Amino acid sequence: MVSFRCRRYHDRDHSRGTRTILAYTIRRTAILIVSLLIAATVLFVLLRLLPGDPANALVGVGATQEQIAAARAQVGSDQPLQVQFVTFLGNIARLDLGTSFVSRAPVLAEIGNRMSVTLPLTLFGFLLALIIAVPLGIIAAVRSERWYGAAISVVSQLGIAIPVFWVGILLVWVFAISLRWLPSGGFPLRGWSDWREAAIGMVLPAVTIGVVMGASLLRYVRAATLDVLGNDFLRTARALGSSFPEALLRHGVRNGAVPVVSILGIELASTFLGAVVIERVFSLPGLGSMLLLAIQQRDYPNVQGVLFVSTLLVLVIGFVADLLQRFIDPRLRSRGSVAP
Amino acid sequence: MQPKSLAFTAALLAGVALAPISLAQDYNPDATIRIGSLYEPQNLDNTAGAGQGINEAFNGNVYEGLFLLTDEGSVEPVLVEDYTVSEDGLTYTFTLREGVTFHSGDPLTAEDVKYSIERVMAEDSQSSRKSSLSTITGVEAPDERTVVVTLSERSISLPYNLSYVWIVNDAASDITASEDGTGPYTLEEWRRGSALALARFDDYWGEAPTNGEVIFQYFTDATALNNALLTNAVDVITSVQSPDTLAQFANNPAFTVTEGASTTKELLAYNDRVAPFDNVQVRKALARAVDKERLLNSIWGEYGTLIGSFVPPTDPWYEDLTGVDPYDPESARELLAEAGYPDGFTFTLDTPDYDPHPLVAQFLQTAFAEVGVTVNINIITANEWYTKIYQEHNFEATLQEHVNHRDIVFYGNPDFYWGYDNPEVIQLIDESEAASSEEEQVEKLRQANRIIAEEAASNWLYLYPQIVVSAANVTGYPVNGLNSQFFAYDIQKSN
Amino acid sequence: MTTTPEIALAPSKGRHSLALAAGLVLVGLHVGIAILTLFWLPYDPAAMAGGRLEAPSWLHWVGTDRLGRDLFTQLMIGSRIALLVGTGAVAIGAVIGVTLGLLAAFASKWLDDALAATLDILIAFPTLLIAMLVVAASDTASLGSAIIALGVALSAIVARLTRILAKRVLVMDYITAARTSGTSWWGIVVLHVLPNIWPTLSVNFALQFGLAVIAEASLSYLGLGAPPPNASWGRLLQEAQGTVYTAPIGALAPGLALLSLVIGVNLTADGLRDTIDPTRRR
Repeated sequence: MVSFRCRRYHDRDHSRGTRTILAYTIRRTAILIVSLLIAATVLFVLLRLLPGDPANALVGVGATQEQIAAARAQVGSDQPLQVQFVTFLGNIARLDLGTSFVSRAPVLAEIGNRMSVTLPLTLFGFLLALIIAVPLGIIAAVRSERWYGAAISVVSQLGIAIPVFWVGILLVWVFAISLRWLPSGGFPLRGWSDWREAAIGMVLPAVTIGVVMGASLLRYVRAATLDVLGNDFLRTARALGSSFPEALLRHGVRNGAVPVVSILGIELASTFLGAVVIERVFSLPGLGSMLLLAIQQRDYPNVQGVLFVSTLLVLVIGFVADLLQRFIDPRLRSRGSVAP
Repeated sequence: MQPKSLAFTAALLAGVALAPISLAQDYNPDATIRIGSLYEPQNLDNTAGAGQGINEAFNGNVYEGLFLLTDEGSVEPVLVEDYTVSEDGLTYTFTLREGVTFHSGDPLTAEDVKYSIERVMAEDSQSSRKSSLSTITGVEAPDERTVVVTLSERSISLPYNLSYVWIVNDAASDITASEDGTGPYTLEEWRRGSALALARFDDYWGEAPTNGEVIFQYFTDATALNNALLTNAVDVITSVQSPDTLAQFANNPAFTVTEGASTTKELLAYNDRVAPFDNVQVRKALARAVDKERLLNSIWGEYGTLIGSFVPPTDPWYEDLTGVDPYDPESARELLAEAGYPDGFTFTLDTPDYDPHPLVAQFLQTAFAEVGVTVNINIITANEWYTKIYQEHNFEATLQEHVNHRDIVFYGNPDFYWGYDNPEVIQLIDESEAASSEEEQVEKLRQANRIIAEEAASNWLYLYPQIVVSAANVTGYPVNGLNSQFFAYDIQKSN
Repeated sequence: MTTTPEIALAPSKGRHSLALAAGLVLVGLHVGIAILTLFWLPYDPAAMAGGRLEAPSWLHWVGTDRLGRDLFTQLMIGSRIALLVGTGAVAIGAVIGVTLGLLAAFASKWLDDALAATLDILIAFPTLLIAMLVVAASDTASLGSAIIALGVALSAIVARLTRILAKRVLVMDYITAARTSGTSWWGIVVLHVLPNIWPTLSVNFALQFGLAVIAEASLSYLGLGAPPPNASWGRLLQEAQGTVYTAPIGALAPGLALLSLVIGVNLTADGLRDTIDPTRRR
């Protein structure tokens, strides 16, 4: 199922309102900021819904009333909700994400450290997924009658049916334990300063992500290609003398790319935190495991911080994906909407 | 502490015999030892809720105490050169060792010791050993090398309890993210979620470590930990979680498997305040309803030991009490009927969500069903266990593993989460602490333990094995891991 | 190359029916087993009938677990749990999602934009993460909380899809005609919108079924899934990790069971999609 990301569906012509890319960008940025505010509010509400006073996580065994009161003052949970909310927004604006209850370390710094693992991992995995999905997806679509086209399709079915941790465990067993080609996991203590070790440590996890995400993306690419292949302009291009691959590349890609870019945005954003399972299999100190641990320990500043940063990332990626789509498809530019 | 029982000596000898022998000239004195562990500390301050991981990484390595609890279980003076005790046993005068410096360069003075002890006893301290220092009424530092500790009652375990107290430089304000101790290593770097590195401290007052650097590599998954050892990403793992993974290491010449003496007990703890668990016969019945040998075999295969009480073989007051309530479902049913529950009863078992507790819970559920008792398993997180059970005492029964050394004293505290309240036991335990000789202490605690076992205060299921696995070229590591300590300074790595 | 794209576009009916048939067989197998478990099981799931980690034998077709319980019995129960999880999560996702989606479709421009933005954010959050948060909020892990968590996570995609499809229907001429002739909005929804969007939605549900089952396996791997005695395949997989060297079948069997169900569902969904709209070569 391929669908477009659209903002409006009324079939009226809005060419006057969003004719230029610039105007659209401005409008889109405004939406981004508003979405951010909504997200911050939702976050605030969500965390207050978790059972227990956040201050309880700060004090230890047999805390006295004074200690609990002091903790609440420190956390701010003794203030009325409106005041808490305003303080919360103010802090976020200044990028002050507080300090962890458990580790007593500043949240933003820790997130930064974790990002230095999660970001490269996600990007490498993503790149690998693209390398797998795009060519194979196109082949599967164009050569769906041949055995290898069908075989690719079958294998992709397998790829989306296996839980990702299984793929990880399998790869570890084959490449780390049996063949000893790669480490079974871990990330160097000194991070990217030990860049060779860090890069090697990224290989298996990135391949795991690449394979699983690739299988899923492959199906979208295949579907988009099939869609494109059925279009008239392709036949026209061929009639005018272009060879099949030429026509496919020049016209097909532009058309097929739009829905795929939209999906890519979502998949990329999902992987930041979805990688928590990969982080456990390969013992990587990433953002997902920070969040999992923080949730288990009711370490609110950490939970809040990670969720906020990821939401920010998600929104920004969506923003970029949106702009990219408009850029690729001129029809989207002038009309501002395309009926899906 | 002189080992008393035969069993203890046997275990000790077995541990020593099996422990790898290190050859003086064969190792690399600047080697980096990589230790794999599942217990990452939450922060670096053992009074700020850092968890057992900080004992593992820092006790004896970065921080030292006045005394040291060695891996064999004896208490030895470290930063104390000598000490005297007053006639009434209420005043201890410690003379500190000379020439000791902190990592920051400051010399060790009595003020630092006073500060360190008071830190653990402070109101906002989250140290688990706070209550064991409750007999201390005052700490004074009359001169640079002398510390005077006054007690409210005799406390024969004072040196033992002081071995848990880190001596911290009183100039160090916040040690949650940094350190200033006197130990043979300094903290080099810590990457949360990944690893913690210790580097040799060249101005250490004592014998230099036999390696140059130690890195504690942290994992959240036991399989990943084992894989790391298998693929040589770490040199030694501090404790093995299941017997099945040992199969890969046991008959493999590239690895050494050592079984030490464990203090980790798996127990089914009842809330002794609440019916029907306030009834001794009910508790005895439940003890007889469990085939502990089969349970141990299910979880640990051929490893592990059966215990009949909370006291493991390595405690000086150990006695084999496994015969007190042996497996006998018939007898269990009779006892229940006698106690007034001929048709059994139902209770909720709050079970921590990590291995092996859910499995043990299921075993117990089936076992108790045989005698007519229905168990509802309620899976909870570690966090929840701490709040609901440990702090609020809001439970009927729970499963837990207790790793502390010499923790029979928990049964002398009616406010402990299981709420066992027997005045005779309390008196015996108090008296044991006020004993004037070790023999007296051992005798009193033995008596107390017998009563606790006869009354089946809890259901002591089994003793974990303590297994350390290392690469064959690494030796000199602690095999007993008492109190989760893992001294790195004697570890030798060849080639 | 002489084959034209058009021919390449029309895969033989044969291959398609084969895939659909295979899918239905797999799904049918699991449904059959699940129903069977309500009446009969080879062993009592709690009975510790065998020894520790026995290899497969005539008595225990897939061997036993650490407590000596029959694994085949647990696998069969796993079918039931997987179907429960899949159906439950999809149902909850459907109810929440379709409602939200319809609301957005009918809403004013600003409300619609706001909802669309929120949905986009939620969609980008991985199912796993949302599930983690919901499980944490419900204090104790249980099968119910896992299902609800997954349902909530899936609802965002359903909502977005419903919104797009409903909007498309709402601009059609016959809707205007219906409105002019006096049908209420509620009538429009029930008589025109829902029947039109239902086919596409149902294909989506079928695909989400597989996603839910896999997500539950991942939740179990992280320790957040349904606790025993409702042992799902995911939990069996997680528990088997430690014993994979001494008893590999314990890890292989649940994995294969999981694979077979999810592939079966996906093949059926693909087949469904082609039946519903054979002109769309997707």
